[in-house]
Amino acid sequence: MRETADRIRKDSIWMSTRAGTGHLGPALSLAEILAVLYKGIMRYDPQNPGWPKRDRFILSKGHGCLALYSILSQAGFFERKLLEEFCSKYDTMLPGHPEMKLPGVEANTGSLGHGIALGMGMALAARIDGRDSRVFVVTGDGELQEGSNWEAAMTAAHHRLDNLIVIVDRNKLQLGDFTENISQLEPLADKWKSFGWGVRVVDGHNIEELLSTFKQVPFVCGKPSAVIASTIKGKGLKAAENKIEWHYKVLTRQQYEELKNELSLEELGHE
Amino acid sequence: MSEMKKSTRTSFAEALVKVGQENLKVVAVAADSASRYGDFVKKFPERSFNVGIAEQTMIGVAAGLALSGKIPVVTSYANFLTFRAIEQVRVDIATGGMNVKLIGTDTGFSSAWLGFTHLALEDMAAVRAVPNIAIIDPADAAEAYKATEAIFEYKGPVYMRLRGRKEEPLLPVAENNFEIGKGQILTKGGDVVIIACGGAVYDSLKAEEVLQSKGIHATVVNMSTIRPLDEELLMKLTSFIKHIVTVEHHNITGGLGSAVAEFSGGKRA
Repeated sequence: MRETADRIRKDSIWMSTRAGTGHLGPALSLAEILAVLYKGIMRYDPQNPGWPKRDRFILSKGHGCLALYSILSQAGFFERKLLEEFCSKYDTMLPGHPEMKLPGVEANTGSLGHGIALGMGMALAARIDGRDSRVFVVTGDGELQEGSNWEAAMTAAHHRLDNLIVIVDRNKLQLGDFTENISQLEPLADKWKSFGWGVRVVDGHNIEELLSTFKQVPFVCGKPSAVIASTIKGKGLKAAENKIEWHYKVLTRQQYEELKNELSLEELGHE
Repeated sequence: MSEMKKSTRTSFAEALVKVGQENLKVVAVAADSASRYGDFVKKFPERSFNVGIAEQTMIGVAAGLALSGKIPVVTSYANFLTFRAIEQVRVDIATGGMNVKLIGTDTGFSSAWLGFTHLALEDMAAVRAVPNIAIIDPADAAEAYKATEAIFEYKGPVYMRLRGRKEEPLLPVAENNFEIGKGQILTKGGDVVIIACGGAVYDSLKAEEVLQSKGIHATVVNMSTIRPLDEELLMKLTSFIKHIVTVEHHNITGGLGSAVAEFSGGKRA
């Protein structure tokens, strides 16, 4: 899983540098979360992406898709060669926000505040069909300022959807500033608890902690689960870590060449 | 016109129970609007959900259900369903072509006593601005019943407009078989063609009687599907009738009139 997370970072940096665009900071904070979900927790079959009994994953913070594209390729949903297509043309399979035309993408996302309700629908369908599928939704923390999330949070708890797990990528930064400077989210864990969710706060870069936490869902029988994962935006790229401007910024080709050694990028065999 | 009267909303609820009995994939998602589903909720509680006064969540949940193979039906006041949740309708329903049936009620002035917030005079404009969604406005309760059956046979997103609880006369449309995308000629006359949808079909038939008494002969068309528009029929009619009037319980911008004007403009171009 460590290697998988590292590769997510390297792929994200490489894809965004190559394309000259992309939300790099929000992808880098997700690396361990996605590595643990796809390599240690979720059930899926890349040969049969529509397998009804699979667990579902929704990247509600669709702008973090660099990391999603990397993990889906690593999980075998498509050839790694396809990563070269990121934002490369008008009708690319890998646009700047994920679309269902790409195998493994369960929902079109990019407009914030949609993922939890979509996940609820999938969780309800599993209940109707008597499937033990679970639905994992990753939201950004700034994204939680969209009121639709709290509509859905209230309703999911009311319907006792304990097959729904929301992971908040709590990197404390949004496009314009730190979340707490824009519209205060804290006390965030208390908010989820008061909405009727089982809640854990974890280190979102600690693989062991993430793994053991996800293995314990649902935290409370009959309640949906919220995992608040404390992360660092831009994690792994020193220049980008915890920097506001790296929400939507990428390396130049020259910076990429200079950083190759620091990031062990050459071992990927990209370019 | 028949003395029989019935509300389109009641008719929809009756048809929904029948559809729900035959098709176990049909799931109802309400936003505190469960009464609109009639007996469906009582008969199929395991397939009925209420998300509370939360239209955005209602649409999102419906999309999630559709992504798992269900055929969700949602209903609310047309204005709230469309405007409150238009972003979810666009992103979650339209772009992916989700098999979700959106039922907007209390369209036009049918709940005028509730004030302007509850009027739906721009709902079609909102949905027409979004791609992929079929739009249906049944003329009367009998057509609403047939249309309800038809939209569940149709694969893809549909927006159907219904009116309030008020009983309305049954019109001479039932004998024509309802088909999504097909208009119906109700009267034939060579002087003017009146194209109407929804409750305005009744108004148009009344107008035709008045015109008749003045020696003007009108073709009245029930254009209950606004999208896809019956272009074949329009082409035929406009080839020999010069004057076209459209009538609808909707703002002049973005509804049936706009759809016909866009078609006519395109044809000329």
